[in-house]
Amino acid sequence: MVRSALRSAIGAGFMVAAMASASAQVLEIGADNGPTGLDPHLITAFPSFMVVNGNIYEGLTAVDRDLKIVPGLAESWTVAPDGKAYTFKLRQGVKFHDGSAMEAQDVVASINRVLSKDIASPLASRLSAVESANAVDATTVELKLKEPSAALLSSLATIAIVPGSMEANKDALQKAPVGTGPFKFQEWQPNGFILLTKNEAYWDKGMPKLAGLKFNIVPESATRQVGLSNGQYALLPNIDAATALQLKGKPNVKLSETMDLAYTLIGMNVSKPPFDNPKVREAVNYAINRQEIVDAALFGAGVPGGPLSPALKNWALDVSKFACYKPDPAKAQALLKEAGVATPVSVTMKVLPRQDIKDIAQVVQEQLNKAGFKVELVNQEQGQFIQDWRNSNFDLFASINAGQPDPDDYFYRTFRTGGSTNVFKYSDAEIDGLLDQARTQQDQAARKTAYDKVQQKLACSGPVAHLTYGTLFSAMNSKLQAFETMPNRSLLMLRNASY
Amino acid sequence: MNRVLLARLIDLVIVLFGVSIIVFLMIRMIPGDAVAIMLGANTEITPERMAELNRRVGLDRPIIEQYLLWAGSALRGDFGTSLWTGRPVSTEILLHLWPTLELTFLSLLVGAVLAVPVGCLMAQTRGGAADVVMRVSAIAGLTIPSFWLGIVLILLLSSWAPGFASLGYVPFSEDPVGNLQRMVLPAFALALPILANLSRLVRSAMLDALGQDYVRTARAKGLPERRVVYKHALRNALIPFLTSVGIMTGYLLGGAIVVEQVFAIPGLGRLILGAIAERNYPLIQATILVVTAGFVFVNFLVDFLYIVVDPRVRA
Repeated sequence: MVRSALRSAIGAGFMVAAMASASAQVLEIGADNGPTGLDPHLITAFPSFMVVNGNIYEGLTAVDRDLKIVPGLAESWTVAPDGKAYTFKLRQGVKFHDGSAMEAQDVVASINRVLSKDIASPLASRLSAVESANAVDATTVELKLKEPSAALLSSLATIAIVPGSMEANKDALQKAPVGTGPFKFQEWQPNGFILLTKNEAYWDKGMPKLAGLKFNIVPESATRQVGLSNGQYALLPNIDAATALQLKGKPNVKLSETMDLAYTLIGMNVSKPPFDNPKVREAVNYAINRQEIVDAALFGAGVPGGPLSPALKNWALDVSKFACYKPDPAKAQALLKEAGVATPVSVTMKVLPRQDIKDIAQVVQEQLNKAGFKVELVNQEQGQFIQDWRNSNFDLFASINAGQPDPDDYFYRTFRTGGSTNVFKYSDAEIDGLLDQARTQQDQAARKTAYDKVQQKLACSGPVAHLTYGTLFSAMNSKLQAFETMPNRSLLMLRNASY
Repeated sequence: MNRVLLARLIDLVIVLFGVSIIVFLMIRMIPGDAVAIMLGANTEITPERMAELNRRVGLDRPIIEQYLLWAGSALRGDFGTSLWTGRPVSTEILLHLWPTLELTFLSLLVGAVLAVPVGCLMAQTRGGAADVVMRVSAIAGLTIPSFWLGIVLILLLSSWAPGFASLGYVPFSEDPVGNLQRMVLPAFALALPILANLSRLVRSAMLDALGQDYVRTARAKGLPERRVVYKHALRNALIPFLTSVGIMTGYLLGGAIVVEQVFAIPGLGRLILGAIAERNYPLIQATILVVTAGFVFVNFLVDFLYIVVDPRVRA
């Protein structure tokens, strides 16, 4: 009897030890905001994207840390000579989290779901070039396009593949996502946490190494920092420079950093005076001292930025190439005089409610005022800011925007006449022509030339004064291995990480 | 007695009805509609798709129709679904209710229970050193904001006891020690202003009561001072105290929003805050109704306790 009791005790001890070591591998993450839904075809907010992208869901293609397009659920692809058809060969042996096999018809259903009017996916315009999707056989998918689309492969990385049975379902995936990714959805306690567990049947053998991910929703920055310091959280992903500086050098904490794709900007409404005059927009650029903004508002963690992020090494022009980026208040005043506007030019600037943007807006206000403007800052609540932004109800606004891995994804909708996020009402025939040409161009060098011209023109007289590209940090416990911050804020690299 | 309670019950229904209309209208008057926020500032969305989404969540109907539809379902116990997650609003509220109830209960317990002896002591030592020290501390307790206190407490604890898990929430049923560990700091941060407020109140009510004829009579009868204070004077001093406890519960719900934010507790406060930021109309409406009902119910309880404590009210 004693022996059997001893045996049970030892058995229980092993079980507890096994459970403890398993639970130790669930990575505790301190996230600033909770997801607002988990349907990959409906979400737009970063907190949702961070949870689902690459962890729960995968696309046909993926982007790596250098923002290069790499295979995702499609192992390989071929493009028709005229650029109007893509054939994808799917990876074999991929299963959804519900146990069903991922096949060509699921891909077709996913693409149709995004394009469906009923689902009203905000991602639909990324597939606007797609005419039809067809399953050739179980592992082959063909996409037919209305016109060649240079950004298609990059866009497809953002389109999650979901089970075909979900095609018409508007609500189920918001609550209980089913993907093919390395982690499975387990539990969501709104405002509390969201728990993902390891997908044991993941196609990439040996991955993931972690037993799961627990995103703890911790809105207070100070609280997150304490949680990291005392070991309650092992990772604070995508934090700002101010928080990173406070955590730098703390015991057991290490930082990973990268150039952010997101950029800070001043938007100008070109549908009303004085910003309808290109000379006034040029004056704004001459008035702004970008390095001063980096130093004062980003604590030096960032670079002055033009229309494209320096993270896009193949596309972005060096900002020293833009004459109007050399701060010159006198030149700005001269331009205002040439434009025939009475100085000081009184304008209001609406400010996105984020501390870094408020800081930046104050620095820009000071700089513009020195160059002949009289700027009044209007601090807004997020909902109101979005509403005004959407309705083009502003003179100027200060904000931050997510960047895109392919220039077309960003330029076309922002600066093309009638573009879906062209809230500036900007319309320029030359820019339209260049964007149309670059979009359908297959030749990489020709695309580059077109985008160089676009950047040159937009930098000085476009409707957006691009200000800075910040350094994006993640802070983590020094035991966390093989995790790196990605420029697009995806936590895709958690699949390789161990703790 | 029954008539008093019945009148209060009718008040409760009228208040809830009024609040439902006010909240419904107010939340729609704030700029920034749900669909615009749902889609964010950085999406590619056409007006047609926005209209489709509006139709999907039922925001394309006239506001009166929206209200009637919602109120009709609410009366049947169906508060609708969250615009963002598609989950039933009642499920989300139930999930968030317990942490807030526990936090409120613990803070009220600490604040109100301590306030009685502290207030009595202040009254008894009126003008003395102990009274002055406690009064100054009470003023400090009233003026220090809970969120600031919360952050300081977290920081202090993390340097003194790095292994102490002070953030987030674990249900008591799952892990009693972990639960109390996480609740002690937020409950203290919330309780301090309550303690400060209530102890001052008890002090002045006691001073008032101690000057009354019946106290003099009790003392003249040779009763021990402790018995005079706690048996005779305190009972009368409790009436304003009870009223304040009722009001404090309302304060606690407000304070809980901030403290829950600081300590990452998934309670009703954070639910409301998030729902307002995302203009999640069904969730805001139902949560505010629940909070209002709780507040009105506590006041109803206070009225009931009056009757128990003070026989004059029964008349």
